[in-house]
Amino acid sequence: MNPDYAGLFLALKPETALVVGAVAVLGLDLSVFRRHAAAERLRLALWVASLAVLTAGVNVWLGPRGPAFGGVLMLDHLAVATRLGVLVLTLLTLGVARGAAVPHQPAEYVAVVLFAATGLMLMAAAQQLLLVFLSLELASLSLYVLAGFDRARPESAEAALKYFLFGGMASAFLLFGFSLIYGVTGSIELPRIAAQVSLQGADPLLMVALVMVLVAFGFKVAAAPFHLWAPDVYQGAPTPSAALIASASKLAGFTLFTRLLWPGFHAAVGNVAAPTFGPGWLPTVAVVSAASLLLGNLAALAQSSLRRLLAYSAIAHAGALLLGVMAAGRSGPAPLFYYASTYGLAAVGAFGVISAMERGGRCEYITDLAGLHRRSPLLAGCLAVFILSLAGIPPLAGFFGKFTVFAAALRLGGVAGPAGWLAILAIALSTVALYYYLIVLKQALIAAPAADARPIRVPRTTALTLVAAAGLIVWFGLDPAQLLGLF
Amino acid sequence: MEPRVAYLWLIPALPLLAAGVGCVAPRNGRRLAAGAAIAAMLGALVLSCFALHLALADPSAHLVYNFRWFDLGNGAVRLGLLLDPLNGLMCVMVSLVGLLIFIFSLGYMDADENFTRFFCFLSLFAAAMLCVVVANSLLLLFIGWELVGLASYLLIGFWFHRPAAAAAAKKAFITTRIGDLGFLLGLVWLYDTTGSLLLYDGGNGVLESHVLGDLATQVLAGGLAASTAIGLLIFCGAVGKSGQFPLHVWLPDAMEGPTPVSALIHAATMVAAGVFLMARIFPLAAADQGLAAAPVHVLTVVAGIGAVTALMGAAIAVAQHDLKRILAFSTVSQLGYMMLALGVGSWVAAIFHLLTHAFFKALLFLGAGSVIHAAHHEQDIRNLGGLRSPMRATYATFSVGMMALTGVPFVFSGFWSKEAILHAASEWNVSHLPLYAGLAGVVLTAFYMTRLLCEVFWGAPRSPAAAHAHESPAVMTVPLVVLAVGAVALGFLGTPAWPWLQSQLTGEAVPAHSLLEGGGLMALSIVLVATGLGAGWALYGRRLRATAGADDPLAAAAPRLFAFLGARMKLDELYAATVGRLNTFAAALAVILDRWVWGGAVGFLARFGEFTGSVNRGVDEGGLNAGFDSISERIRGAGRAYSRAQTGETHGYLRALAVAFVVLALLALLGGGQ
Repeated sequence: MNPDYAGLFLALKPETALVVGAVAVLGLDLSVFRRHAAAERLRLALWVASLAVLTAGVNVWLGPRGPAFGGVLMLDHLAVATRLGVLVLTLLTLGVARGAAVPHQPAEYVAVVLFAATGLMLMAAAQQLLLVFLSLELASLSLYVLAGFDRARPESAEAALKYFLFGGMASAFLLFGFSLIYGVTGSIELPRIAAQVSLQGADPLLMVALVMVLVAFGFKVAAAPFHLWAPDVYQGAPTPSAALIASASKLAGFTLFTRLLWPGFHAAVGNVAAPTFGPGWLPTVAVVSAASLLLGNLAALAQSSLRRLLAYSAIAHAGALLLGVMAAGRSGPAPLFYYASTYGLAAVGAFGVISAMERGGRCEYITDLAGLHRRSPLLAGCLAVFILSLAGIPPLAGFFGKFTVFAAALRLGGVAGPAGWLAILAIALSTVALYYYLIVLKQALIAAPAADARPIRVPRTTALTLVAAAGLIVWFGLDPAQLLGLF
Repeated sequence: MEPRVAYLWLIPALPLLAAGVGCVAPRNGRRLAAGAAIAAMLGALVLSCFALHLALADPSAHLVYNFRWFDLGNGAVRLGLLLDPLNGLMCVMVSLVGLLIFIFSLGYMDADENFTRFFCFLSLFAAAMLCVVVANSLLLLFIGWELVGLASYLLIGFWFHRPAAAAAAKKAFITTRIGDLGFLLGLVWLYDTTGSLLLYDGGNGVLESHVLGDLATQVLAGGLAASTAIGLLIFCGAVGKSGQFPLHVWLPDAMEGPTPVSALIHAATMVAAGVFLMARIFPLAAADQGLAAAPVHVLTVVAGIGAVTALMGAAIAVAQHDLKRILAFSTVSQLGYMMLALGVGSWVAAIFHLLTHAFFKALLFLGAGSVIHAAHHEQDIRNLGGLRSPMRATYATFSVGMMALTGVPFVFSGFWSKEAILHAASEWNVSHLPLYAGLAGVVLTAFYMTRLLCEVFWGAPRSPAAAHAHESPAVMTVPLVVLAVGAVALGFLGTPAWPWLQSQLTGEAVPAHSLLEGGGLMALSIVLVATGLGAGWALYGRRLRATAGADDPLAAAAPRLFAFLGARMKLDELYAATVGRLNTFAAALAVILDRWVWGGAVGFLARFGEFTGSVNRGVDEGGLNAGFDSISERIRGAGRAYSRAQTGETHGYLRALAVAFVVLALLALLGGGQ
């Protein structure tokens, strides 16, 4: 095969833009902006980074489609949509960072965000196991650094260390699984693996390898029982980092693993439409989904910390998204993508509100939100949109996400089979979830502010970011065809 | 296709925007809220005039703009905008009358501390009403319809601190909701049968011939056509909204709202929405006319209900003492006339009367508002009197409205539109009962309006409030004058000699007749008007009421009948004793079910969830964390707290990960028992 480097460059132009942007941020900070104050350096770095993200977005939009570089990359609808989604969520994260506490090395922070985004973009398009692993590692390593960036706070270092240890273990599983897959099928390219698997069927060794992959997947998207890092990281990491981990990382993770599992291993899928499963990876996904739904929703009930509550709610949403993964074989990835991207918007927004509140004091417990409607009506209104969307209240996007995913899951085999039961479980647990979401809103919208509470001043960029995220949620909720029609 | 139709959405969007501004404006932002509302209405009026101009270029065309709202299953839910002379005229009428009433409200609500909120609600109402008018989809129409109901609820209960207003708002909301339920069922049925709710859609809309043909030929049990059933269900919505018998009871109570609200919503626009709806779907309602075997036709029912309402409303109005309630029952009665016209097949006459009625009834209500404003919120006609000389402008314009309503011949618009209805009723070949009801109503209308005019404006003031009354400011009287001009001039758009309105609405040339065509009927109705006026004058004008406590002359003549009519034919009591009691019983049953059966189950589930959650937290924090904490504390002694906790926790975490892997691998391999 004669490598087509020109085609590769064209396909990777967006990633190139991000890397060039990151290097430019670092270089400019070292040379031109060196004498400025930290806050000013952060502002300039964010502008450069936003420019890079926008350039990347334009390149994704105008870039080539179809397989690239001999099938190493696959730029189909899902890849393009995910890459755009990652860029939008990164841009919103940058907007959130503008209002957050200024990190010690602002330019490095922004550059690492761009590196993480590069990794996530590659994850969205990777179709070869080596590239899958490398892109996952690039993204993960950047996120570990981001989680531990606030060196002044022990919690941040603690979160990073825990995330790193857990991630290292998950990567080990993933690599072991990949090597087994290579050993069984003799290839690292997904189309060839698929052809080989359909010839030889569900080999026990292949099953073990797939479960290993699933462990890494569960880690990446914080699904139970691989979720244990999530509450600590959400609590300890700097807020923009937590926003990126909760949104863009999740979206790219789901895209990557949907691509891996469905086109790659659809021959070893098993069956969830009937109570007798049959060997395959789908039943294990179903178990992980059920565990995440139950654990996430029930544990969230008992939380008093706002960030831990968001972490457990993220676990619950991962469970619902896994339903979307299960249904993707039959209904296509559109419901999954819609859910994951709109969930990402709401998550970034919620963390953005937290970070804006932290400027004016503490925002650790749910009770710290008390009287937000008096202290900052804008924040309270945006928070209401985000939380109601997370809870799945129409006409916000969260409702349509849940609706399309559950409808797709019910289409797998009606309410008779385990997939149907799982969908019913998810619907029932949505009502449980409403309880803890409304507790948050009750504090923000009804409770009176504390006696010493002062109005919160929200920086203009952050306000714009939050309003944009809320506007997108409302818009996609009113006109879901905008996203669902992409596929 | 006409591309400009796509911009029709701007007409409802402008007042909606003003409502948004009013909603976020601070309480003291009076100028902002009122300015936004009036500017938006002015904008809507200008756009409506352009739209009407566009529609009149080709009156027979239905210009549509349909778009996909969202996909559902294999189909798509589509909405659309429609422009033809019917809704072009409605748009202009709603925005013009709305604009005048907004301006009037500046003066009337001046002293109210919730001025901002009032204009916010008014704008919301205008947006919803215009949405009903421009909709090309019954779904969009229904959305506007419900929003109109909501705005009406909010505005009737605007002074919610008064128990009567709060109760009236609730009554209006619930009563119209009964009709809306029928409407919704009709829509669902229609969608189920035809797969579309668009009115006009290039041959596939529900008002277009081949769909109508299908609907009319589908026969249900009992020989009923599908279109009959659907038409009657949709008519339920119109009955509720337009205050038709038997759901009219909310309309008189709605007078608890501020008077401009009564003028705008409960006289000129919202209550006419039912008539507009029936005119809009007239092809559907008339689809079953060809079925001779059908046991009932939609239009027959409509005509019957209309005739009963027209007569009943006029009769009850005779024996009321509250200025606004008399006008309210008069509205009920006039809406009955419009339904009657629809029922006998002349939707054009109905719309003609709708337009003229909007002007003269808004005029009468605003005149009443001017009186109430001047007389310190005294609205019992027995306590008023003698307002003719202090309130000359109000008196003059009110008289114009009164003569238009009673149908004083040739000059006033009400005469021509009422003649059109009576003429249509006389040509109806099913029955002449509606015609007789309409003619009887004419006498009663002239009678009660004469009584009203004499009691309020003539004689001497009978209370201190009336004695101190003085003319309202120009911001209130100027809209009155404009409306009075409309109440006269509008009639000349639809006289038999120059049937401009008729030919524009139907899109066909209507031949002009002599002014005196059907002269016998016309002469008869003129005689009847004169009879009513004369009887009213004889009883109330010749011997003016001396004191507030004096007996009503009619009550003296027929005390039991007068009391029966005064109690609104005891219909409220009848409903309270039947439907109300049944509802109370059902509610009590529901409470028992809810509190003991469902409440118990939900409570149990909640306790269970709480229990699982706390066990989870206990395991998470007490078991995993605390266990490892204490172990590591023992091992390492003092040290930095976080590293201590973390090394312990992480080991446990990683162990859990390995265990989970083994379990899942076993599951994948064994495949659930196979």
